[in-house]
Amino acid sequence: MEPPEESGGPAAIGTLSQPARTVVALALAAAAVGVAVHLLMVFLHVAPSNTATKKHGELVGSYIYPEFEQNWKLFAPNPLQQNIHVWARAEVRKDEGGSEVTGWVDLTAMDIAAIRHNVAPSHTEQNQLRRAWSFYAASHGEKDKPIGVRGELSRQYLQRIVEDRFGPRLNGGDVVRLQVRSGTTPVAAPAWSPEKTDTRTTFQVLPWWSSDVADQVDEDEGGEDAS
Amino acid sequence: MSEALNEAAHEAAQGAANGAAREPVPAPGRPAAKAPVPSPFAGALDSAAGGLSRGLARITGTTVGRYQAAVVRIGISLTWLLFLLREWPHRHELYGPDGAWSWDLADRLVAGNHAFTLLLWGRADVWFEVVYTGAILASVMLLLGWRTRTASLLFMIGVLSLQNRSVFVGDGGDNVIHLMAIYLVVTRCGRVWSLDSRRRARGRDGDGAGIALWIVLGLVLAVAQLLGRTGLTWTDGLLPWLGWTPFLWGFLLLQAVWWAVRRYAPGEPRTVLDILANILHAAGLLVIVVEVCLIYSTAGWYKVQGSRWQDGTALYYPLHLDDFSPWPGLSHAMAASGLMVLVITYGTVAVQVAFPFTLFNRRVKNVLLALMMVEHASIAVVLGLPFFSLAMIAADAVFLPTGFLRWAGDRVARLVWRGGGRDAAAGSAGEPEDARPREADDAGDPGDPGDAADAERAKDAPARAVAGPRGPGPDGEPAPSNLVV
Repeated sequence: MEPPEESGGPAAIGTLSQPARTVVALALAAAAVGVAVHLLMVFLHVAPSNTATKKHGELVGSYIYPEFEQNWKLFAPNPLQQNIHVWARAEVRKDEGGSEVTGWVDLTAMDIAAIRHNVAPSHTEQNQLRRAWSFYAASHGEKDKPIGVRGELSRQYLQRIVEDRFGPRLNGGDVVRLQVRSGTTPVAAPAWSPEKTDTRTTFQVLPWWSSDVADQVDEDEGGEDAS
Repeated sequence: MSEALNEAAHEAAQGAANGAAREPVPAPGRPAAKAPVPSPFAGALDSAAGGLSRGLARITGTTVGRYQAAVVRIGISLTWLLFLLREWPHRHELYGPDGAWSWDLADRLVAGNHAFTLLLWGRADVWFEVVYTGAILASVMLLLGWRTRTASLLFMIGVLSLQNRSVFVGDGGDNVIHLMAIYLVVTRCGRVWSLDSRRRARGRDGDGAGIALWIVLGLVLAVAQLLGRTGLTWTDGLLPWLGWTPFLWGFLLLQAVWWAVRRYAPGEPRTVLDILANILHAAGLLVIVVEVCLIYSTAGWYKVQGSRWQDGTALYYPLHLDDFSPWPGLSHAMAASGLMVLVITYGTVAVQVAFPFTLFNRRVKNVLLALMMVEHASIAVVLGLPFFSLAMIAADAVFLPTGFLRWAGDRVARLVWRGGGRDAAAGSAGEPEDARPREADDAGDPGDPGDAADAERAKDAPARAVAGPRGPGPDGEPAPSNLVV
């Protein structure tokens, strides 16, 4: 964008003094540059990985994060085609001595029950556990190995959610340890489609976590627990 | 900017049409004298330059798209206000110091990503309550347009504080509100439909509250600065002077300058400041417009690559996701028809991909806009995402035509004031520009980029649209001398 011309320029600017016109011209130039830079950065952030972002990805990232982060791949490239439920169970120390392991509780099913026939579901029901699980899954590698700080944070977060929902006392005893598993059930193919989908649920079982200290990893005891 | 483009296109089209009319009709039996075909580019450069200078005049001399900015302000602040009220019973669980995403977890994450949040300034429960309640009050302030510029800053701080405190409970709706909250700060979104504009129209001198607000903000910022609170940085790591500290102090400084100039230098300095505010506003509004286009482009172009969007079954799956079917009967009934699923699946992709390009044709753009708003309204109910949908509709509203917005605003004002025994027209008197001919308002506003019909009208508009030396708005507009920009 160029500053307005001397003659034939807009009346308002034309009547200004020379210094004032310079200020306006500079402001126009600054605004144009600012808008161009911002939009270019946002564009490169939302665009697929490409020649420019492979070379300057770090620069784009340092401009965008944390406040201009965005993700508009809503149901894209494909919508999620499976229902993921997060389950949990606890080991409780009985008041009369001894301990027992509770049955698996489908925490996601409780969220879904709260969402049913609700015109404005709360983020606590719709997002909290669902996103905590995907945060955990995305920041853990093979054999539940946490990836960086985020892996560790995501585990504590998931554990705290389960602790909040179970409470310190369960089935007449104190909760000592917790275990979480996810159950993934593919959505059946549409009735009109010739596709066949195996809709059996597969479980991923995580290790036991000691309940009292949220930031301490307990011994592994989990394994493939098919059911 | 887009107007220049219009102008050029329009001019080129007209040139071609004139050329066709002038073409000599060959007399029968005699070979026609070969007249040169007129260049379609004749005069294009001049008219482009003219369009550019008229565009500049509008950007500098007037607050372009003030109705669009106002409707985005109202929509976004209302969405966030309703969300905060809805989550009031769950606020501790979502954002409180002892919520599942505890203060310590957030502190460790923010130490890495440097997101801005007041909630990490202190871990006391009472501080949390202050910030949450403050965020509600800031939403009300912005909704009503009371001290709009300050309100927009406080609103943004409220949004960032809560969302950055617990990033893992948000969804697309929070993301839209986050971005719009930042962008709205640079716009003059309170020029119409606000308590500020009503006060301006009534010629009230409202310095008191503004000065008090400014002093309180300055004191809070100074104390926070002295205590060395998290996030008050001088740099963002990329460039010096881009951190939150220069931004917040700069904001206060600008308000002080604005107030002083309006009060003590009402001549040229005031006109220049007004022009600068208009330029900044236009830049912010342009960013909002392009941001919405990027949202739809991203959503659309990534879908094109998905096999489920290609085979026409994509819609079926969200309707069978437990988290997003509050009304399973309705969802499953919608998903039962293969043809309906196909039509909506393809229609969604087509509309999302096409939308940014339809901005070059007013009618097609308006039809698509209506379709997208209807789709979002359905998403609100069917997928149980009312706040996401409301935020998207609010952002979409930046593309609504000025004529429609003014009509709708007038209807609402009449409804609101009917019971009050007040003159209905006075109710909407918050629009100091009302005296201006409509054409000037409608001409090629950024809400309707690429509107050829508007470009035509714009030709005679600049004379009226351009501000006099005293500033924008018609003569006789009382000089606002409040703190708020």
